[in-house]
Amino acid sequence: MREKAATYLIVGAFAIVLAFPFYWMGMTAFKQTLDLFNPANLPFSFNPAPTLSNFGNLFHSTNYPRWLENTAFVGVAVVLITLVLSLPAGYALARLSGRVGGSLGVGIFLTYLVPPTLLFLPLSRVISQLGLQDSLYSLILVYPSFTVPFSTWLMMGFFKTIPPELEDAALIDGCSRFAALRRIVFPISVPGILTVVIFTFSLCVNEFVYVTTFISSSDHRTLSAGVPTDLIRGDLFQWGSIAAAVLIPSIPLALLYNVFLNRFIAGFTGGAFR
Amino acid sequence: MADQPDGTGKVTGLTRRELLRRAGVGAAAVGVAGSGASKAFGFAGPHKFTGRWLKGDLSILQWVHFVPDYDTWFNNTWVTTWGQQNDVQVSVDHIANTQLDARAASEVAAQSGHDLFQFLAPPAIYEDQVINHASIVHEVERKVGKMGNLAKLSTYNPRTKKYFALSDNYVPDPVIWRHDLWYGLGEAPTTWAHVLKAAPKLKAIGHPIGIGMSNELDSNMANIAMMMCFGSFIQNADNQLTINSKQTVDALKFMASLYQQGETDEIFGWNPASNNQFLYSGKGSMILNAISATRTPEDLHLPFSDNLFIWPIPKGPHGRLGLEHVMGCYVVWKFAKNIPAAEKFLADLCINYRQATTASKLYNFPSFPGAFPFKQIYKAAAADTHKPHGKYTVLTKIAEKYTHNVGYPGFSNAAINELFTTYLIPQMFAQVAQGKMSASDAARAAQSAMKPIFAKWKAKKKI
Repeated sequence: MREKAATYLIVGAFAIVLAFPFYWMGMTAFKQTLDLFNPANLPFSFNPAPTLSNFGNLFHSTNYPRWLENTAFVGVAVVLITLVLSLPAGYALARLSGRVGGSLGVGIFLTYLVPPTLLFLPLSRVISQLGLQDSLYSLILVYPSFTVPFSTWLMMGFFKTIPPELEDAALIDGCSRFAALRRIVFPISVPGILTVVIFTFSLCVNEFVYVTTFISSSDHRTLSAGVPTDLIRGDLFQWGSIAAAVLIPSIPLALLYNVFLNRFIAGFTGGAFR
Repeated sequence: MADQPDGTGKVTGLTRRELLRRAGVGAAAVGVAGSGASKAFGFAGPHKFTGRWLKGDLSILQWVHFVPDYDTWFNNTWVTTWGQQNDVQVSVDHIANTQLDARAASEVAAQSGHDLFQFLAPPAIYEDQVINHASIVHEVERKVGKMGNLAKLSTYNPRTKKYFALSDNYVPDPVIWRHDLWYGLGEAPTTWAHVLKAAPKLKAIGHPIGIGMSNELDSNMANIAMMMCFGSFIQNADNQLTINSKQTVDALKFMASLYQQGETDEIFGWNPASNNQFLYSGKGSMILNAISATRTPEDLHLPFSDNLFIWPIPKGPHGRLGLEHVMGCYVVWKFAKNIPAAEKFLADLCINYRQATTASKLYNFPSFPGAFPFKQIYKAAAADTHKPHGKYTVLTKIAEKYTHNVGYPGFSNAAINELFTTYLIPQMFAQVAQGKMSASDAARAAQSAMKPIFAKWKAKKKI
């Protein structure tokens, strides 16, 4: 009983700490501007009545719906590209490249560690040469440069946990290598694939350096650039609208994480226990 | 100018003289076209700034202005009208001020981007990447009189005799303080000594001073201005490095005391909006900032907005020497696609700067004072109805008497630009305030860090 109480105490404390930003964001999104700026007001409750004006401002006075669309478009496209490239790459490194595979996997992962703050200058030239400035396609082209290495490395670890005997059996039964992959390996790898999908999509939503460098116009921005650029006018932070803008996409993402939590953990820890 | 956008959308007609000039230039153009002298059709020809034959697109990148009304006027009135009058499709992109440097580096790396790019500090390091803006300066001077000395010191390189930017505006940097809080203590920030005396009392009642020491624009400005009030200068009038001086040590010691007695740790992690936010939260009692810090509380009807007073920078042992808060500097890249339109746009904007100053609620002051003389700005400020009445009139005095360029008494050269954008001055102040270095060691270290920067730009023959 005492042990259980201690567990709940620790988990409860963590839950409060982790949920607090969401609580704060939710409160701020529904607060009136004067309520936010008046230092005499209690910050943890509504002093004047709650309002929907911050959401109204987002949808009627900014390009917010467009940013959502752009973010979804780029995110989905990059997820697809990442899956197409990282699944076969991860499989090849796990199964087909022998001892070299491990070193190659580490090498690929290292490229993920090169920060965008160094890469954006040379990539600017590439984007310019391709005529993709101020185009969402510039992001679709560049984002896989950091999503593919990590996803490949992740999938490589995951594929290694799948016994090769399963594929051997399929090959003996007359499957081609590709058919064995499609019918045997990929269905078992759903947790890993889901991890790649969620991880890649989250990276696309959060990315800031490339999108602020390559995208100029407001209606081509994604959420991560549109919110800080159009909702912060110099020293005037539209806190209510900023909180609302972040709250809206965070809800489906949080639900998605929650629904697939177990598979997500399995995907990340897939290569840890063999 | 005959055909200026005046905000009404009206376009005045062609005069007979103008028509004859254009006809003459048109004939000359036909004559040289066959010889391939394409430049005769461009900006360099005799037809400068008459407009209307300009066609094509013009792209502009600039910051999200601290006074939102300015962007509304710029995008919806000025740009629209100017574009219609000149047959040019103008597009304006706005980005946060903190993103400007990275964006400029990216455009230069790509050798592609916007035709016009606005910096908020003199961009001397890009001198080789931009056109010489002298012809625009001369055209504006022909219409409204001399460029202000501050703008010239900020955008002209005497070594290469090149205008590496065109400054359309600068922003005075007053001290903004809570009269209700200071008055209760019987103090006012007239001198830095008074500030130091009042600081511990203000902090004790929960209202510290807010002067930053962080890697950002406002800290840079505030720290350098304070140094100058103590007689410490980064360079002399001959652009020789002079940072390692007794005066610098005095300024550093002073700021360390001010931090210890009257500030909080927050100031080491500030961004360009932090001091404003500090004031709006009701906590801050004094900051150095442009008047956006008073305009926003007025717009939001914050309870203390009538108690925000605007004064010139406090006086130090060497006097009252302030900096501009923002130096608006447009550049036309060499790789710009529509240089003639960019040049004419800038010239017209500077000539008509009265509209811009008004739209910015007196935040932007014209770099060519003749475009909106100080006396007239004073009258506009006196007509402002916000309390205390007439508080904005002091801006003209600050702009005229106490506002200097970064790098004063020298020019805002490339070395100054580099050390400014790498935040060496606020870092020096922070080291001393946090007790990581003594004041004299910090001044020596700053000299050592800046010496190679000056040497590099001297070797490149830019200083």
